[in-house]
Amino acid sequence: MRTWNDLDDFQAFIDDGGMVEAGDDMPDEYRSEVFRFIEFHANSELMGGLTERDWIPKAPGLRLKQIFLAKTQDEIGHAHLLYMVAADMGVKDRRSMLEDLFAGRSRFHNVFHYQAVTWADQIAVAFLVDAAAFASQRAVFAECTYGPYKRVLKRIVSEEGFHMRHGEEMLLRLAEGTEIQRQMFQEALDRWWWPAVQLFGPDSDPNDPLLAWKIKSQPNEQLRHAYIQKYVPLLHSYDFEIPDPNLRYDDDAEAWLTSDIDWEPLKATMRNGGPDSRRRIENAAANWTDTAWVREAMDHGVMDQNATAAAGT
Amino acid sequence: MSPSAVHDAVASVNDPEYPDVSIVDLGLLVSIDVDEANRSATVDLVPTFTGCPALAMIAGDVEAAVLTVEGIDSASVSWRRDVVWDTDRMSFAAKRRLATDYTVTLRRKDGTLRCPVCGSDAVTDQSMAGPSRCRSVAWCPSCRNPVEVMRA
Repeated sequence: MRTWNDLDDFQAFIDDGGMVEAGDDMPDEYRSEVFRFIEFHANSELMGGLTERDWIPKAPGLRLKQIFLAKTQDEIGHAHLLYMVAADMGVKDRRSMLEDLFAGRSRFHNVFHYQAVTWADQIAVAFLVDAAAFASQRAVFAECTYGPYKRVLKRIVSEEGFHMRHGEEMLLRLAEGTEIQRQMFQEALDRWWWPAVQLFGPDSDPNDPLLAWKIKSQPNEQLRHAYIQKYVPLLHSYDFEIPDPNLRYDDDAEAWLTSDIDWEPLKATMRNGGPDSRRRIENAAANWTDTAWVREAMDHGVMDQNATAAAGT
Repeated sequence: MSPSAVHDAVASVNDPEYPDVSIVDLGLLVSIDVDEANRSATVDLVPTFTGCPALAMIAGDVEAAVLTVEGIDSASVSWRRDVVWDTDRMSFAAKRRLATDYTVTLRRKDGTLRCPVCGSDAVTDQSMAGPSRCRSVAWCPSCRNPVEVMRA
C-alpha cells in the first residue's frame, strides 16, 4: 500500500505518470471525486442498456434484433464492471448506488433523459450519441490514473468502437433509403443533435480536480469542439441539415462554429427533470424489482454450481 | 498469388471487440480453399459463440481482405457449425494479449482462475453474464480488480 503525505505529494506522483491502485491510501478528495465519476458512468451504462433493450422487440429484422441484444448485454455488462470498481472504493456499496439511482437521487448522462420516439431516433442515438459517449470515454481512458477503472475502460472503449460501426451501418441504410426514411432521420437529428453536443457538458472549470488528477485528459470544450468538427461535415455529406440556424464555417478559426449553447436542458436532466427522466427512472426501478428472483437465486449459490460445471467436475 | 498470401490476408483481420487481436490467433480459422483456376478463395471460420453479433462484420472484413490478394477475384466466407470453438483454439500470443491488455483470463482445467493483473489464484466468479456472449465476470480480491473470463 502506497501512501502520500499531502495533496501536493500526491499531485507530484500523478504528474510523474503514477497510477493509483485500489489498495493505495489515496487522498479522500481523490477517492470521492473518482468514485462520483465512476458511479455516474456506471449509472449511464445501465440506463443506456435499458434503452437498447426497449428496442430489441421493435428492431426490424433478426440481424438488427441480434445487434440490439448484444448492445444491451454490452452496456449492462459495462455497468456491472463499473459498479464493482465503484463499490470497492468504499464510499457507497453497490445496492445503495442502485437504490439511489432508482429513487432519482443520482445522476446519469443527459441523453438518457429523452425519449427515443421512432426507430430513426434509435439510429440517431447509435450514430450521434454513442459517438459522443465514445469520444468522452476515450478521453478518460487516454490518461486515467485509477488503475481498476482504466482496465475496465480498455474493454469498454474497444467494444464501443464496435457499436460505432453498427451505428454507421444503420445510418447509411436510412441515408440511402427512401424519402420517408431520410425524413425520419432528419426529424430524429433535429431532436438529438443538441443533447449529443451537450453530453460533453459546459466548459470545464480550469481548476477541475479531475483534470489535475488526470481522470479527464481534456477539458469538456475541447472534446465538444472536436466532435462538432467531425460530425457537421459527416452529416452534411449525407445531405442532412443540422438544426442550428447560426451554424457556420469560420475561415479564420478554420472551424465550424455553433450558436451559443443553452445549458438549461442539460441542467434539467442533471436534476432528473428532463423530458423523459421520470418514465425512464420508474422503468429502471420496476426492472430492478422484477428481477429480484435472479439475485435471490445468485445468493443461493448458482454461480458456484456454474464454476463446477465449467470445470467439468 | 499463393495460398499463404490468402492466409496472411485472413490473419490481418482483427476481432471487432479486440481491435489488435487477429481472428486467426483467436482460433476462428478452420480452413482456406484456394481455386487458382477460378481465381477464388473460400474461407471457413468457426464462431466463438453461436449468435455472436460480430459474425457478419468479421465475414465482411475477411472477404474484403482476401479480395486485396493479387490473383483473387472472388472470396466467400462460411461459418462452420460442425466445429466447436473452445479456448484451446487460441494461440499463446492471443491468450497473453487478452490477459495483459484486456484483463481477460481463461479458466484452468481444474476450474480455477489466475488474475491477469497480479497473478493471484484467489479469483472468484461473480456473474455468468459479462458484457459479451463469450465472457463471464469474476473478481480478484487480492488486487481488487474485476476480471473477465473467456467462456469455453
